[in-house]
Amino acid sequence: MKVIITKGVTKIYDPDRIPVEALRGVDLEIEEGEFTAIVGPSGSGKSTLLNIIGGLDRPTEGYVEVGGHKILELSDNQLIDFRKEHIGFVFQAYNLIPVLTARENVEFVMLLQNRSKKERDQRAEELLHAVGLKDKMDKRPNELSGGQQQRVAVARALAAKPDFILADEPTANLDSTSTANLLDIMAELNKEEGITFIFSTHDQRVIDRARRVITLVDGKVAKDEVKGYGVMGV
Amino acid sequence: MSWRNIWRNRTRSLVVITAIALGIWAAMFMSGFATGMVKGYLNDNIANAVSHIQIHNSMYSKENDVKLIIPDAKAAANNIEQKPNVKAVSVRTLVNGMIASSKEARGIRVKGIDPEAEAKVSTIAKKIIEGEYLDQNKRNPILISNRLAERLDVKLRSKVVLTFQDLNGEIIAAAFRVTGIFDTGSDPFDEMNVFALSADLNRLLSGVSEETDSTPIQPIAHEMAIILQDAQLVDSTRNELQSVLPNLKVETYREISPDLQLYESQMESVSLIYLVVIMLALIFGIINTMLMAVLERIRELGMLMAIGMNKRRVFIMIMLETILIGLVAAPFGLLLGSATIAYLGKYGINLSAYSETLQMYGMSNIIYFAVNPDIYWQVPLSVAFTAVLASLYPAWKAIRLKPVEAIRKI
Repeated sequence: MKVIITKGVTKIYDPDRIPVEALRGVDLEIEEGEFTAIVGPSGSGKSTLLNIIGGLDRPTEGYVEVGGHKILELSDNQLIDFRKEHIGFVFQAYNLIPVLTARENVEFVMLLQNRSKKERDQRAEELLHAVGLKDKMDKRPNELSGGQQQRVAVARALAAKPDFILADEPTANLDSTSTANLLDIMAELNKEEGITFIFSTHDQRVIDRARRVITLVDGKVAKDEVKGYGVMGV
Repeated sequence: MSWRNIWRNRTRSLVVITAIALGIWAAMFMSGFATGMVKGYLNDNIANAVSHIQIHNSMYSKENDVKLIIPDAKAAANNIEQKPNVKAVSVRTLVNGMIASSKEARGIRVKGIDPEAEAKVSTIAKKIIEGEYLDQNKRNPILISNRLAERLDVKLRSKVVLTFQDLNGEIIAAAFRVTGIFDTGSDPFDEMNVFALSADLNRLLSGVSEETDSTPIQPIAHEMAIILQDAQLVDSTRNELQSVLPNLKVETYREISPDLQLYESQMESVSLIYLVVIMLALIFGIINTMLMAVLERIRELGMLMAIGMNKRRVFIMIMLETILIGLVAAPFGLLLGSATIAYLGKYGINLSAYSETLQMYGMSNIIYFAVNPDIYWQVPLSVAFTAVLASLYPAWKAIRLKPVEAIRKI
């Protein structure tokens, strides 16, 4: 089933003064349960595309449908709720709320969703176990390593039970061990929970393990390579 | 979460908390100072000059004629003294006239007093700085102020001549000797008033020659000054006395000196103006800090919005942070302020260095701080209001952030 459809998505930054065309007509279809990397050189529009799919940004032109929602028709506040319910984000950095512990960070999204205390506790614990941070639950982000922080971010992204996880260069600041570790966890979640993962990255380690690699050059899809089915590299 | 956010930048939050606490302290200090100054002025005026209640012939305030006396004043005074709230009564003979030395003459009011009774009502007996208080046994003693002595160029034991009209309308002049010099600290009062013995004035007013004054005379009384036990009950006591003495005019200090009433009523508005000014200054301090706190956290706020924290929640979070800072600061400020007021209320603040100017306005040197108890809710309330107001702009700024741009910002 196609869960993400984009048609002719164009994004021009600052159209009045010095227009910068970040995307020039991207047509894309992504199936449920994919583990996909969007790659390309800096400035090719990877992050912009990801932001548009995630409802963080609006395209200048084009059509975007995510999980059956025509997200261009949503208001700003509806978009926030859409993100809250359907999408988990993992950013390159600054993912966590510095004043909250790992557990509280994971619970935070569920708090926004008005889940019960019991459910929050249980799921936060489960997820932190799953990402291997059982004994770091009550540490604050500044007491965790970069890799550990990204794993908390993944747990946080999963907490809301999203349909998609969008990760914008999640491994950019990580060493090899942490990267491998993080990818293992994400691959496993992809396999076991059927969550669709989309990365933007230029990290070869991530590209190697992706099932589908979409290459963007100058705001257009230059190459769309399906490497196989099933979760790679697990 | 707001609470924890406050303690992220400990120094900055502490600076704002200190600023708010100091603002509250300053507001209370200024208010204490202003109220204390006015109260001091009021109390000095009551003690030195107007007393709590004065009784006159009902025509006296209009005409100021020596003939407008209080009939049977002795009996009335005794009667008044029995009233429960009355502390002391002084019966005075008032004469407007001229005082002259060899150098200079000035218009003044002579207060003829019974030294003993007067000492209980006004502070004049304690304000003698040279010589002594009036002595019943001396002939024609007079107390003048140091300011007047300077003007007239007279010293202790100098002779001065008082000229005034007697009861028959004749102009009479009599020599008095300066036996004491006083200084109440209020220039307007000091330049206008001298004190003599009521008995001497009575004799002169009734036109009895100095040689044959052995006959007792009915006292010529123009004024009865009353000090109360409890100044709060001044109005009810006035009404009570008025009903007992229907033919006389019974007035409180507010009626006699409208300026005192004006000061009294302005005390509150002055305190409020101080409060508003200080809060205005605080508002910008708070806005500045919170704006910094927001701008510094652009990426984090962007992330919060990206993961689904809606604008209302972000807005509330920033507002709560601001309000919490105010809530932390308020008790410190209040504590500091009330401690300062309690201390300075007891020991006063000595402004002798500026006392000449103060004296010109009839104010005292030492100011004992006092506050209207209302300030203890007015200040916290205005701080709360200020904090909410100051939080609006940073919070609004925070929700205007676009998550994508916010996350991108380095």
